[in-house]
Amino acid sequence: MGSDQLDAVNGTSGLNPKKWRFFLELYVIMTMEYSSVLLITIRASMAGLCRWALLAIAAVQLVACSENVVEEVVAHTYEPSWRYKCIADEGCERTTHPSSELASNASSLVFNSLDVCRTVCGRFGGLWPRPITAAIGMQTVKIHPNYLRFDLQNVPADALSLMVEMTKLVGPNLLAECDGVVTDMVETPVVVYLNVKSADITLTWSTDEEYMLDVQTKEDQISVHITATTIYGARHALETFAQLVASDRPDFSDQHSCSLLLVSGAKIRDRPTYPYRGLLLDTSRHFIPMEDVLRTIDGMAANKMNVFHWHVTDTHSFPLESTRVPQFTRYGAYSAKEIYSAEEVRKLITYAQVRGVRVVIEIDSPAHAGNGWQWGPEYNLGDLAVCVNQWPWRHLCVQPPCGQLNPANQAVYRVLGDLYKDIVDAVPAPALLHMGGDEVYIECWNTTEEITEYMKQQNYDSSTTEGFIKLWAEFHSKALKAWDEAVEAAGTPKQPVMLWSSELTQAARIAQNLDKERYVIEVWEPVSSPLLHQLIKLGYKTVSIPKDVWYLDRGFWGTTKYNNWRKMYAHTLPRDENFLGGEVAMWTEYIDEQGLDTRIWPRAAAVAERLWSDPTASVYSAEPRMQRQRGRLIKRGLAADAISPAWCSQHDSKCF
Amino acid sequence: MSVSGAQLGVAMKWWGEGVGRSASAQLSRVARMRRALLLLAAAACTAAALLYWRQQSDDAARRPLHALYTGVEPQWSWVCRNLRCERLLASETSTLQSLATCNMLCDSTQLWPQPTGPVSLATAVQPVRAAGFTLQVLASPSRDVSDHLAEAFELMKEDMRQLERTAEPERRAADYGAPRDVLVRVAVNGSADPRMRLDTDESYKLTLRPARNSLVADITAHSFCGARHGFETLSQIVWMDPYAGSLLILEAATVVDAPRFSYRGLLLDTARNFFPTAEILRTIDAMAACKMNTFHWHVSDSQSFPLRLDSAPQLAQHGAYGPGAVYSPDDVRAIVRHARLRGVRVLLEVDAPAHVGRAWAWGPQAGLGALAHCVELEPWAAYCGEPPCGQLNPRNPHVYNLLERIYAEIIQLTEVDDLFHLGGDEVSERCWAQHFNDTDPMELWLEFTRRAMQALERANGGRTPELVLLWSSRLTRSPYLERLDAAHVGVQVWGSSRWPESRAVLDAGFRSVLSHVDAWYLDCGFGSWRDSSDGHCGPYRSWQQMYEHRPWTEEAGSLSSGAGQAWRVEGGAACQWTEQLAPGGLDARVWPRAAALAERLWADRAEGAGADVYLRLDTQRARLLARGVRAAPLWPRWCSHNPHACL
Repeated sequence: MGSDQLDAVNGTSGLNPKKWRFFLELYVIMTMEYSSVLLITIRASMAGLCRWALLAIAAVQLVACSENVVEEVVAHTYEPSWRYKCIADEGCERTTHPSSELASNASSLVFNSLDVCRTVCGRFGGLWPRPITAAIGMQTVKIHPNYLRFDLQNVPADALSLMVEMTKLVGPNLLAECDGVVTDMVETPVVVYLNVKSADITLTWSTDEEYMLDVQTKEDQISVHITATTIYGARHALETFAQLVASDRPDFSDQHSCSLLLVSGAKIRDRPTYPYRGLLLDTSRHFIPMEDVLRTIDGMAANKMNVFHWHVTDTHSFPLESTRVPQFTRYGAYSAKEIYSAEEVRKLITYAQVRGVRVVIEIDSPAHAGNGWQWGPEYNLGDLAVCVNQWPWRHLCVQPPCGQLNPANQAVYRVLGDLYKDIVDAVPAPALLHMGGDEVYIECWNTTEEITEYMKQQNYDSSTTEGFIKLWAEFHSKALKAWDEAVEAAGTPKQPVMLWSSELTQAARIAQNLDKERYVIEVWEPVSSPLLHQLIKLGYKTVSIPKDVWYLDRGFWGTTKYNNWRKMYAHTLPRDENFLGGEVAMWTEYIDEQGLDTRIWPRAAAVAERLWSDPTASVYSAEPRMQRQRGRLIKRGLAADAISPAWCSQHDSKCF
Repeated sequence: MSVSGAQLGVAMKWWGEGVGRSASAQLSRVARMRRALLLLAAAACTAAALLYWRQQSDDAARRPLHALYTGVEPQWSWVCRNLRCERLLASETSTLQSLATCNMLCDSTQLWPQPTGPVSLATAVQPVRAAGFTLQVLASPSRDVSDHLAEAFELMKEDMRQLERTAEPERRAADYGAPRDVLVRVAVNGSADPRMRLDTDESYKLTLRPARNSLVADITAHSFCGARHGFETLSQIVWMDPYAGSLLILEAATVVDAPRFSYRGLLLDTARNFFPTAEILRTIDAMAACKMNTFHWHVSDSQSFPLRLDSAPQLAQHGAYGPGAVYSPDDVRAIVRHARLRGVRVLLEVDAPAHVGRAWAWGPQAGLGALAHCVELEPWAAYCGEPPCGQLNPRNPHVYNLLERIYAEIIQLTEVDDLFHLGGDEVSERCWAQHFNDTDPMELWLEFTRRAMQALERANGGRTPELVLLWSSRLTRSPYLERLDAAHVGVQVWGSSRWPESRAVLDAGFRSVLSHVDAWYLDCGFGSWRDSSDGHCGPYRSWQQMYEHRPWTEEAGSLSSGAGQAWRVEGGAACQWTEQLAPGGLDARVWPRAAALAERLWADRAEGAGADVYLRLDTQRARLLARGVRAAPLWPRWCSHNPHACL
């Protein structure tokens, strides 16, 4: 990235050598002062190339700067151009006449840019998700990302490199507000002082994500003070900081010039309500190219979501490369191109971590496993999965193609163990796995002789459901053992795993089948189901993903109903120490990368605010901020869906 | 591995500490560190090399039996068994066949929309190249038609080139031999006018046969539009075989084809949300791929007026969301030309007298009096169906002068003079009643419609267009329906097919275009964006519902009851209103559902959305993707790979 930008700068801008020198010197000075920068320097440099590396780093800050003088656009006689007025408790309203006809007696509450109006208007401005407390000034100050500096003195050394990566995302996010080009060069320095207490860089549901953010402007110098326990809190603060910036370009403008305005004074204190704020993406029904997955992570970061639940496999396909068991993709991927290589997975995990997102890989089992598991006989391992692609499918699975792992075949656990080892190698410690565990069809196992024979041996009564429940529970305990072995081999402590709710997790059954110290139950029953509360009462850690409200695929098949962002937002969750949070689910039977963004965003953002802030205020008071967040996602390259006619976004409170 | 790993660990630790303490280091220390770093780098390289080597040998030891999947080799091969394509591991078959090729050769034709006349297709294939296609115009009624043919032919070739670009060069050469040239001979006997008109004969005949070392395709048609449909069909028997890395064509084909309905439309609303020109062009590409012929452009509404007209630039100035959300006359001309070469007419609707807004609020300043009433009046629920409100002032003669100028410019821009859309839906009687308490608002509405028709007649050089469409409304119900000019007025019926008034229009013998909200509204099913109600239309309309909706089959019943004349259904249109849609989501919302409607209107076969339709639509979706249209999938990818297992 650095070198590209270096080229871009060299190629296009009229940046004179003097300026270069300035940056060089600046960085040398910083090298003297901050161990942090030295660290990067050393990292990036090879032997005597220190100087060039410095230049490259300078270039990172220098993204797409252009000094070309923009020709003054002469106002066309019939140019539509509107201005926006901040009205207390309502939001931003478009003026009733194009501004060319207005006398220029604009008060401080009238703005050319809708985005700027939103950024300062209302108690929480344009922030999403809403912080706990915020005091945001009405004044703004012009800034340029080139003059953004990060003071990392008070970041513990062990957390430094990750923190540096996190700071690198701020510049591009600011530039995105101007579609990549800030034409107005201002040299006001913006120094972000990061104060992080903990050197711990693990991201779990006990990670402290709280932060404080303080923006002050004094005599042409802007200081931003960020205080957080962990770098993840600090990262969230950086996201909030970026949301205090807006472009001064009017809505639907055709003008080229663009400058960035930062709120000149703000004080924000913030922390999440729930520690688990997730998004599930199914990449088995359709393969979703890695670039689209990464973009989805960008969207999560913009909404302070912190768990990417990757439903990577299912009966349909197995796109996850396992270096230990390459047969999975060879028998399970849609094509050689539709595979997530181990290398890509590692990159994804790092990419997510830098954005405060933990990747939780789900290997669904024992049901929802088929393609990718057919090779057992060929390798003399017997049938690893049964009912695979069997037709007719009606009694054997929830949807074609069918497939369930074969719990009678002990080789299954060895193969699973190898796959788990790959996952432990890939994810940061402490490793967290989602084992799936939903929708087992007894009929599939019941029609497989090998399995009924095995049940006889084990004294499981195959004529009753309970017999199969025992078999099913046995599967999970053996799979958990394989996981524990994989985790132990890597030298990290045992962790609970995640499991979908199912017949096995019914309140009357769960205690004898699943240890509450070892399993976190993800409850996907509809809102009307008592299961979630029952499990919380029983002392199980739970995550909620009510299918009738927070499933993003609903409304396009069968009799299911679509939930718009308002409905998703309106759903509230219990508060309990055993209750971790919730997530939205993007199942991909009827969606692939072509329509992915619009299906997920901005609805997932609505849930993100529910999980982060859990506000008591109505959905209507959130709408102006939601409009802003939708626009922000679009600026950052996510094709978020429209939530109303554009007229409504130009007239807050007029469309209710 | 463990030894080198430990060394590396120690080195890292030392390095970390060193850096930690050097916060106020001198330059000389940096130099020392640099030396240390060199050493460190060397150590790291050694370690990495060692690791890499070990990794390699480990991998080799674990490498499974199949070397087949390494590199870019395809994994699956499809075999046609019992008239269906089955997916097999490539290792299990002797021949490697791609899904695309299997689909083309196994049982079903992959044409969309399905032709209405006799079709025979060869099951043998020949490799071809886009560059190997040449056009020969054997007969053409005009220079204009010849030029259009040449350009449309180039468009077809460009689509093929686009497919060729998806081929991966490292693929194994095909076993299909050297590519053949294709000579396309076209004869148009009929209309000298290349435009899509109400009376355009869109039928065509395509024959393709091998001749020595090449192939010869003959297309005969009675209009340019028919001939370009022939190109479209020809392009559908050409496909990219990903395993061969080459275009293939069926070596012989005969297709005789003509549409069942003459009006096959898609409405896009660019007022609720603005769509850049590129989005519109791409939508027209997709329409052309499905032989749809009418792009119904609902350009303005109460929310915005993005069309800059030379005859009334004030409308866009006061009505557009911003200067970047405006269609200039040049934009419109570009869209019209783009559409024309693809057999699509642009029906530009400036809705009136309701569905107008701020764009019309400049009258008093300009000395023209109030052009519109109730603009952005609140509470909106009292004066219109959705915010903001607004309705033209039917008593202001300047309104009709303006309309005349607008209509003239629309006709001049779109070059469509036999068909016009006046809008005319959802008038709020309450709004007008506030201002004109002396007259029944319905009478005002009738009067408005009559005067707007006169303005249109003047705008069109003294001739009323053959078909002037109005949205169905209270005006198109008895007793007002009888007072409309049945000779020219047609009704676009948007009400539910179950509403009696929707049938009444048909029974009364009005020419009609059907857009039943319960079947062909693409915007339904996304919940309510305004507070008042739970959305004006119910659940999402699936492509199957769109496909299976055949309201005209009820005509027989109405005739036997003696209710009226034979129905005059010109065709139908899918409607994409955009209250909850913006650029970025357009393609996946509209496609492939509008394609389903396209086949309903073109072929209108009695069959519902059965297996054959799934397969062909899945193929058509792949074609749309190849043309850059981001159509949504019909089902999980596995089902495309194993088509019959999901049906």
